[in-house]
Amino acid sequence: MPTLTYLEAIRQGIWEEMDRDPTVFCIGEDIGIYGGAFKVTDGFIDRFGPERVIDTPIAESAIVGAAFGAALTGMRPVAEFQFMDFIGCAFNQITNMVAKAHYRWGAPAPIVIRGPSGGNVHGGPFHSQNPEMYFVHAPGLKVVCPATAYDAKGLIKASIRDNNPVIFFEHKYLYRRIKEDIPADDYVVPLGKARVARSGRDLSIITYAAMVHVALEAAEQLSREGIELEVLDLRTLSPLDRDAISDTVRRTNKVLILHEDVRTGGIAGEVAAIINEEAFDSLDGPIVRLTALDTPVPFSPPQEEFFLPQVSDVVREARKLASY
Amino acid sequence: MGMAKKTKSKASRPRATEKASRNRHRSARTPAQQRIYTIPDHRLEKLSIELRQVHDGDAVRYEVSGNLSAPAPPIRDSKYLNKQQCIEIYRWMLLNRKMEAALENLYKQGKVVGGVYFGLGQEACSCASAYALKPEEWLGPMIRNQGSLLVRGFSPRDIMMQYMAKAGSPTKGRDASSHFGDIQTRNVVAPISTLGDLIPVLAGVALGARMQGRNIAVMTYIGDGGQSTGVTYEGLNFAAVQNLGLVLFVENNLWGYSTPADMQFRVEDLAERAIAYGIPGVIVDGTDACQVYDAAHEACERARRGEGPTLIEAKMMRMKGHAIHDAAEYVPKPLFEYWKKRDPIARFENYLVNVKKWLAREEHEKLIAGVDAQLEADRDFAVASPMPEPETAVGGAYCEPGCHEIKPKYGIPNVKTGKRGISRRAESAVHLK
Repeated sequence: MPTLTYLEAIRQGIWEEMDRDPTVFCIGEDIGIYGGAFKVTDGFIDRFGPERVIDTPIAESAIVGAAFGAALTGMRPVAEFQFMDFIGCAFNQITNMVAKAHYRWGAPAPIVIRGPSGGNVHGGPFHSQNPEMYFVHAPGLKVVCPATAYDAKGLIKASIRDNNPVIFFEHKYLYRRIKEDIPADDYVVPLGKARVARSGRDLSIITYAAMVHVALEAAEQLSREGIELEVLDLRTLSPLDRDAISDTVRRTNKVLILHEDVRTGGIAGEVAAIINEEAFDSLDGPIVRLTALDTPVPFSPPQEEFFLPQVSDVVREARKLASY
Repeated sequence: MGMAKKTKSKASRPRATEKASRNRHRSARTPAQQRIYTIPDHRLEKLSIELRQVHDGDAVRYEVSGNLSAPAPPIRDSKYLNKQQCIEIYRWMLLNRKMEAALENLYKQGKVVGGVYFGLGQEACSCASAYALKPEEWLGPMIRNQGSLLVRGFSPRDIMMQYMAKAGSPTKGRDASSHFGDIQTRNVVAPISTLGDLIPVLAGVALGARMQGRNIAVMTYIGDGGQSTGVTYEGLNFAAVQNLGLVLFVENNLWGYSTPADMQFRVEDLAERAIAYGIPGVIVDGTDACQVYDAAHEACERARRGEGPTLIEAKMMRMKGHAIHDAAEYVPKPLFEYWKKRDPIARFENYLVNVKKWLAREEHEKLIAGVDAQLEADRDFAVASPMPEPETAVGGAYCEPGCHEIKPKYGIPNVKTGKRGISRRAESAVHLK
């Protein structure tokens, strides 16, 4: 089994889908000869040609609109956003044109909009954001946030094969920091299914993307104190895996929801509401939220470190909750 | 019209000869390195009226001046349409107008949910443009292009049921007005309420078809108001850069809701915008079906040859308010009178009946009776059809397994695969690590 980074896993997933299906193509800014700002599509233009690896003007609404139009003729476009921070430029196309198409007029939109999101790389307010919740709030879209290389490959392939528009948030902090052995054969990870990243009896941490690794590190530390954390990686934010959320609460009776996104309107509020609806009787303590601050993402490293949830924050809050 | 422009300076603006216009989007350099751009203008009259805001006592209103008594121009003979085709377009225009009159009545009877949008005065532009497309080509209508929808094969019944929010409407009650489409047979993209968003989508349709080995024409519309949006620029520029077969009708109907065209843009003719995109721009009289068709046909033929997009500015006036609730009292009455004389249907009728003598009285009466009978039957059907069951609001936000089979519409894309294997390049291209 080859060892691939998170980025290489995504690259391989798209590559394999383009090899497999002639209707799959890539469209975005600087993705051709340059290979993309993060080099996800490096070498794609040599393999698949400029007809299927299309460099566009700096025009995010045109990228999404054109992807949707091509999808109406039966193509499966994979549109790259150089940074997911710029997705606001195409907000109307995504939420009004694309997301509502199937409900309004029965037009499926099998498109993937993918790109790097997330912080901890000192990118400042416009290169570090987690804009996923704008799209979780739009019925018709699916929202995917992988945390591991294995999942990143399986989920990008599932997203490309899905008949719905998928917003695929790649965490740029993970691009080259994590690697694992990836099966050489074709596999997909189904959308809408969470994953238990670590089993434990005392407390559940529900999280996704880069924060999965923060949670796992905290779990390792607390395990030495005899506190066993369960870590649930949501993987897909829309649709949410309601069963997996209520199941983990039933196993541990205590839950901490952790995310890198800002606090207000983050997925933690939605997950807490689901627990209230599905597993209220199983709770032995308050639902705790641990999130970024309700501010833009600050640039300077000490500020950004303070802004983002750290392993020490998780350890502190989990210890408190475990003793409840 | 010119809010701040006191005179229409035609002399300062070089116009093309027909011959030069063939290469017009390439700038021809004179020895002095002066660029000369040309925009063919097929109109038989040029507007020489001016609109301005004036203080009238305590109120500010619009006032119009200029040669408002000029006689209406004749219809220009089409280079391409034969007698039968002209009569067909005339019938679509009549159906378009009479259907909207029926909708107005249904609204007054309280049977319409929400408002009604009219294309009164714009029927030639909707119908004759859509008529230039082939069945396998695509169209994205704007709110006033109900005539285009009829030409693409939707029935008045479909449009009436949309306005009445009926279960049997094309969107099954889920959306209103011209907000519907069909990806199977009629190849129509459903518009959304925001303006300009269809432009990149239609460009993408042409892109998808090209990957499948077909250069097709795709057509959509934007108004003098809507062309102010950023996505209009993004979409048309993308089509230009990619050389996609987009035919963009800029329907300059002089009003964006209550705002006159001169408060939307500074250029004299919106067709001039084409120069900045590096694509051909053409001006037609939007009330002359033959001019509209000829420009649309030539643009579609360019598209089919793979020569890229065309911008066609059609000049006309919106002869009602923005929607039925809007009495358009802000429009100076003499402007309505001026454009009423340029009515697209009355002039086309006169052309067919009296000028060309292609439509004998008996045949004309039969045609009108046929339109009336069709509308009556469709109206009765639409009125009698049920409202949706409340719970049909549920479902369909997502394409579930089995609900659609996605396959290329024009053929399997012909892919070329290079020998190079997958990159193992590890270093990041950016400083964010």
